[in-house]
Amino acid sequence: MATNSHTQGRFAITTRKLPISKSAPIAAMEARLGIPVPEMIFGDNVVAVRHAPTGWRIEFNAYDALDAVDKTDKNMLQVAYAKSWSASREQTSAGIKEVVKPYDWSYSTTYRGTTTPPSSTNTSDGENNETPNLTPVGPAEDDPTRPAKQIPLELLKRRDPILFFDDVVLYESELDDNGISMLSVKTRVHEHRMLLLCRLFMRLDHVVARVRDTRVYVDFDTDEVIREYTVKEGSYEDLKKAFRVSGLTPDGVTVALRDGNKVAEQLPIIDQTIEHVSLK
Amino acid sequence: MPGLPASVDLDECISRLYKKELLAESVIEAICAKTKELLMRESNVVHVKAPVTVVGDIHGQFYDLIEIFKIGGWCPDTNYLFLGDYVDRGMFSVETISLLVCLKLRYPDRVHLIRGNHESRGVTQSYGFYTECSRKYGNASVWHYFTDMFDFLTLSVVINDQIFCIPHEGPMADLVWSDPDPEKDEFSLSPRGAGYTFGAKVVKKFLAVNGMSHILRAHQLCQEGFQVLYDDHLSTVWSAPNYCYRCGNMASVLEVGDTGERFFNVFAAAPENDQHKDIQQGAEKQADGNAIPDYFL
Repeated sequence: MATNSHTQGRFAITTRKLPISKSAPIAAMEARLGIPVPEMIFGDNVVAVRHAPTGWRIEFNAYDALDAVDKTDKNMLQVAYAKSWSASREQTSAGIKEVVKPYDWSYSTTYRGTTTPPSSTNTSDGENNETPNLTPVGPAEDDPTRPAKQIPLELLKRRDPILFFDDVVLYESELDDNGISMLSVKTRVHEHRMLLLCRLFMRLDHVVARVRDTRVYVDFDTDEVIREYTVKEGSYEDLKKAFRVSGLTPDGVTVALRDGNKVAEQLPIIDQTIEHVSLK
Repeated sequence: MPGLPASVDLDECISRLYKKELLAESVIEAICAKTKELLMRESNVVHVKAPVTVVGDIHGQFYDLIEIFKIGGWCPDTNYLFLGDYVDRGMFSVETISLLVCLKLRYPDRVHLIRGNHESRGVTQSYGFYTECSRKYGNASVWHYFTDMFDFLTLSVVINDQIFCIPHEGPMADLVWSDPDPEKDEFSLSPRGAGYTFGAKVVKKFLAVNGMSHILRAHQLCQEGFQVLYDDHLSTVWSAPNYCYRCGNMASVLEVGDTGERFFNVFAAAPENDQHKDIQQGAEKQADGNAIPDYFL
């Protein structure tokens, strides 16, 4: 079945999983985006969470994620052997020096989901009440070193029954065998809360590794939503070193480098933001 | 050319491999050594006469390789040209390459193997073949035998002097690193810092200069299993259905007839793949057979 839905509290959670896009939709998508899409592109896949009473909604889809990929040459990485490659072609490639359409081909998106604010139910006076939407969380009053709202990890570590689970890939590229870039969304729903994790895992061999996690936490008792965005990044060599120090064998390191969870454990946090909305 | 050791019976190896059984390490060693000798005598650009069935990427999807023989004909009744990328990513790279090498040895004029970019030491260490060899044989010897043999695989093939198959390696390999871009006419540099992208003009010029009519490439995943571009001057054949067991794509083999006519025979993933669904999706199982719940954080 392609589409799965689950209702918990006043929220509806929907996932859709279909095969990779066909060539015509890919061409249309590339024309709109202005960049080539990754070779494994799940253009029809979606994960969405909707608050029924207000219509507030957050969804994760491949098109919007790719639209948040840098379309300039500002964040363009180079493969590890780029220097030796161009040096060896200096004789033969005379005249071919131009990159026609630069873009971040590692598909390191900054996507945190697509939100739809509550549908306006204002009456005739036209007074536009502040529609609730995610706003940044400041420091806590009693302890300014901590944010006022945080995803309650301890509650999520409990082995509460999972009422709904899905794991949906939005896109994946093997970066022409130079590594991996993958954006996927996992979600687990319990009686009183749910967690969604949208993870970008990008590893450019011998260059850099990145993890960009968007976590969406919903409390079904209070109708509060917390979104946390965490950026992790480190050099490929540092990552390998960290794996070795953790006790892995060289073969174990090879396997771990392909595992987004293991890479995420080792990479240092570069940046984190937390947002919050109360929909009650 | 000295024969295989008397203990190695190729027909028996092939029938065991069709059943997905592994060959002994010593047998792999002998077969790889023998294949090296055979390949050394082949030219760097192999000329193949139609009829021939051309197969793109397989990536260790053993059941889908067997599906290809079922729909395209078994060896040696059908001539086969494999364009490379036999190993990595799928679950049965060892069985896949073992079978293909035995078929090459048994029917050297009816089976042709090109070297894909995955037939190399570096790439197979990152994308699974090395790990699979070590796991299935307890050590990396078999990986060494295979990768030493890969160095002798042919780099490119021309069918009927008309269809040029783009190689993954060697001087023409730059072509494969990037998509042909319909918006561009000429060569331009790939944003990756290595390789070019190329357009219709380049394709047509290459064909005119070399007196050929068509370029065929593998290596490019497509949902439909094949793709034809530039007024039928360039096409892509993709032979790994439901790639990585989760893309849901079709696959094809390209059947080139006596007079060069081309037909893409499209097929879906073999039903046998479902037996291994849980392992493919990486889900571990509990004692009761249910998937272990994923309490990701």
